[in-house]
Amino acid sequence: MIEVEGLSITSAAGPILRDVRLHVAAGERLGVVGESGSGKTLLAMSLMGMVPDGLHVTGSIRIDGAEMGGADEAAWRRLRARRVAMIFQEPMSALNPLRRVGDTVAEPLIRHLGLSPRAARDKALALFEETGILGPERRLSQYPHQLSGGQRQRVLIALALACDPELLIADEPTTALDANVALRITRLLVRLARERRMGLLFISHDLAAVSRTTERLMVMYGGDVVETGATAEVLRAPAHPYTVGLLAARPSLAAHGKRRLPTIPGSVPPPQELPRGCRFSGRCGQEIARCADERPQPVATAPGSWAACHLLRARAKGAGA
Amino acid sequence: MSYFIARRLAGFLLTLWAVSVVVFAVMNVLPGDPALTILGIDSTEEARAALRARLGLDQPVVLRYLDWVAGALRGDFGTSFSFGVPVSGLIGERLPLTFSLALSGMVVTVILALVLGITAAARHGRPGDWGIMLLSQMGIAIPAFWLSMLLVLLFAVRLRWLPPGGFPGWGDPIAALRSLVLPTAALALVQSAVLARVTRSAALEVMRLDFVRTARASGFGSRHVLWRHVLPNALVPIVTIVGLQFAGLVTGTIVIENVFYLPGLGRLLFQSIANRDLITVQALVMLFATLVVTANFLVDIAYVIIDPRLRGARG
Amino acid sequence: MRERRLSPNLIIGAVLVALVCGVALLSVVWTPHPYAVIDVGGKFAPASAEHWLGTDQLGRDLVSQLMVAAGNSMMVALLAVGVGCVLGTAFGLLAAARGGWTEEAIMRVSDLGFAFPALLFAIMLAAAYGPSLSVVVVAIAFINIPIFARVSRAAANQVWHREYVYAARAAGMGRFAISRDHILPNIAAPVIVQATIEFAVSILTEAALSYLGLGAQPPAPSWGRMLSEAQTLMYLAPQLAIWPGLCIFTAVLGFGLLGDGLRDMTDPRLIRERRA
Repeated sequence: MIEVEGLSITSAAGPILRDVRLHVAAGERLGVVGESGSGKTLLAMSLMGMVPDGLHVTGSIRIDGAEMGGADEAAWRRLRARRVAMIFQEPMSALNPLRRVGDTVAEPLIRHLGLSPRAARDKALALFEETGILGPERRLSQYPHQLSGGQRQRVLIALALACDPELLIADEPTTALDANVALRITRLLVRLARERRMGLLFISHDLAAVSRTTERLMVMYGGDVVETGATAEVLRAPAHPYTVGLLAARPSLAAHGKRRLPTIPGSVPPPQELPRGCRFSGRCGQEIARCADERPQPVATAPGSWAACHLLRARAKGAGA
Repeated sequence: MSYFIARRLAGFLLTLWAVSVVVFAVMNVLPGDPALTILGIDSTEEARAALRARLGLDQPVVLRYLDWVAGALRGDFGTSFSFGVPVSGLIGERLPLTFSLALSGMVVTVILALVLGITAAARHGRPGDWGIMLLSQMGIAIPAFWLSMLLVLLFAVRLRWLPPGGFPGWGDPIAALRSLVLPTAALALVQSAVLARVTRSAALEVMRLDFVRTARASGFGSRHVLWRHVLPNALVPIVTIVGLQFAGLVTGTIVIENVFYLPGLGRLLFQSIANRDLITVQALVMLFATLVVTANFLVDIAYVIIDPRLRGARG
Repeated sequence: MRERRLSPNLIIGAVLVALVCGVALLSVVWTPHPYAVIDVGGKFAPASAEHWLGTDQLGRDLVSQLMVAAGNSMMVALLAVGVGCVLGTAFGLLAAARGGWTEEAIMRVSDLGFAFPALLFAIMLAAAYGPSLSVVVVAIAFINIPIFARVSRAAANQVWHREYVYAARAAGMGRFAISRDHILPNIAAPVIVQATIEFAVSILTEAALSYLGLGAQPPAPSWGRMLSEAQTLMYLAPQLAIWPGLCIFTAVLGFGLLGDGLRDMTDPRLIRERRA
């Protein structure tokens, strides 16, 4: 129910998102993985129509069949919270510090759904229960600073769910939390997506979190999607050198997040310094001549999976000859 | 919370006490002989001695101070030398006008400043922002009394819409309000210039915070986000400046009353200075300083109301 | 990312300040006419080659009066802010160097200063000592002391935690020597910014007090007093109410812009610190 085709975002310094395509159906869970600077947060913001001023967006974003590419702020505003909702990385600062969290969650219910304050409070309580907030009744009248990080993230999830969106975008929702809490939050997200038949776009640099949360996976680097496919499949047999590098950097003994990815040397360069061809060239280590200037086309790696790398094409040709 | 308030209250009372010492010292100890100041140098020694006895100046200074404070606490500021009536009565007569002017000035200032400041912040870096900031820069540099004169030149002398000064009394409420329009405008235009800047920069700072993004992501329009989410969070610095500006409002009222010949406390202060009525001057200066100190105290209390995070804290 | 180029605020402010100070200095050696010469026959003369802005109700040349008034205004501001700045900064440095109850006492006393707006304090002094420009200077200087004490203490406390200060202390340098050699040069920027802004405030305060008859006494020309005289003649000669006000406006705007520009250049975060 969300379909993105040829989405590109350009700044004065050059393209920072190139030709992204993705779709998330009802109840489907898609992960987006990449280092900071890979464009994954910008991608999320563009699906909310909240791209910062000064950036140029082209391409097609279809939400429930409605074309939102080039839509104005008013059109996007009608969509936010009602169809597409979002939760953010920093539960510490993402809640208005001067409001009781119950009022924060009730606000869209009153303004968008026209509920009475009383009904909105009851609904907020139900949402608190659904998102597993402890002592929900009491929490309603507390302020954000009185809650722990995990509880705040649950409040944000409750807020996002208030108007029954069809797609929930979670931008690094577990990064600021410690491992145990992160685990519970990802479980909650999976349960909510299943029970509500809600699409989930889960953005993270934490492969462990993505692997336990999503069915399909998109790996991004420097504003390009470099590999995509079924999560289990991509993690089992990564095709793109960047994905291989990410996986190698993963802590071998399973599931705790919050690790940086130390084995790929360097970091994502700023947009104006990214190579024109394959964005990963320069850090890759297996480059061939055309990598820097020619953009690699997607090569199918398995049914429903592809990766964009010149090596794969060369290898496929080599195998065919 | 109560600890926070108790501490502020103690500081408030201590400051008031210190202010009373300063005022009393300047008016009574430093200048030498108040009787000489009041009666002038051509007065006779007998007349001065008589006046000193009447004013209780032959008493020790500390005793006189205690007398003054005890009286002031009962609302008795002594008898005006020039008017021959109790100072408290003089103050009571003139207080409503000064209060009305200060209140209307404050209200117009805050409304104007919030609207201009938030509008500028919403148009950050665009022509609207530049225009408002230019206006406020000019408003900061304009002396209130000169702005008053310009307003009088335009609206009273040239257009004849409003009276150039004076006050007809509350018997005719319409005329009374009309005579307050220009003084209020002069007061508020100057005061709101600073406040509008503070509002703008506070709002810009808040607009960078994450919860503003959450509010936008919740599908609220930019106006709702600005006024209901950004503004309350910007209020702490704004209220701080409103408190500091109260001093400007008080002195502004004193000046403006004299520009427009409004018979309020500021005018009384100047009449008393002209009449060398030190008793009345002393009472009025103490009153104005008390107002300023009280305003600062109330601002401290207002923080607690605005920001729930301070309620649990020890302050 | 932030470029260190000169802001328009700074340039416009510097030009206006240079203009006002230039005129003030010039008035010491030259004015088009002697400012106090009365020519009742030539009163309310319109602007002409002889009298560039005309004459006042006593036939005195307006330009000459405005020029001398500029000198007086600058002199008052210079003395008042200078004294307030030197004493206030000294107290601020002392508070930061000694810490403990010395710091607490200095800060509590300077809090008291904020209970008296400069204008009210000047009114009180004028009532007790009689109105004069010296009372204005004393009043503004007095009110400036706590302002500078606060600014310099806040800045000095930060510098005291820098490594080279620790190094100097480790080398056995005394608090006084450290304050003089290391702290003072490093808090100069915020103090100068504050002084520029207080200069503007001081011009406004002097003008208001002179307007109210508590500042410059006749025949010394003052923008504020010229305005109060013009007010009684508003129906007769409205032009007299324009020029002195414009002079105050220009001077205050100049110093205000210069102060803002300097602050943006030296420390864009200063506002935040002062709030905290």
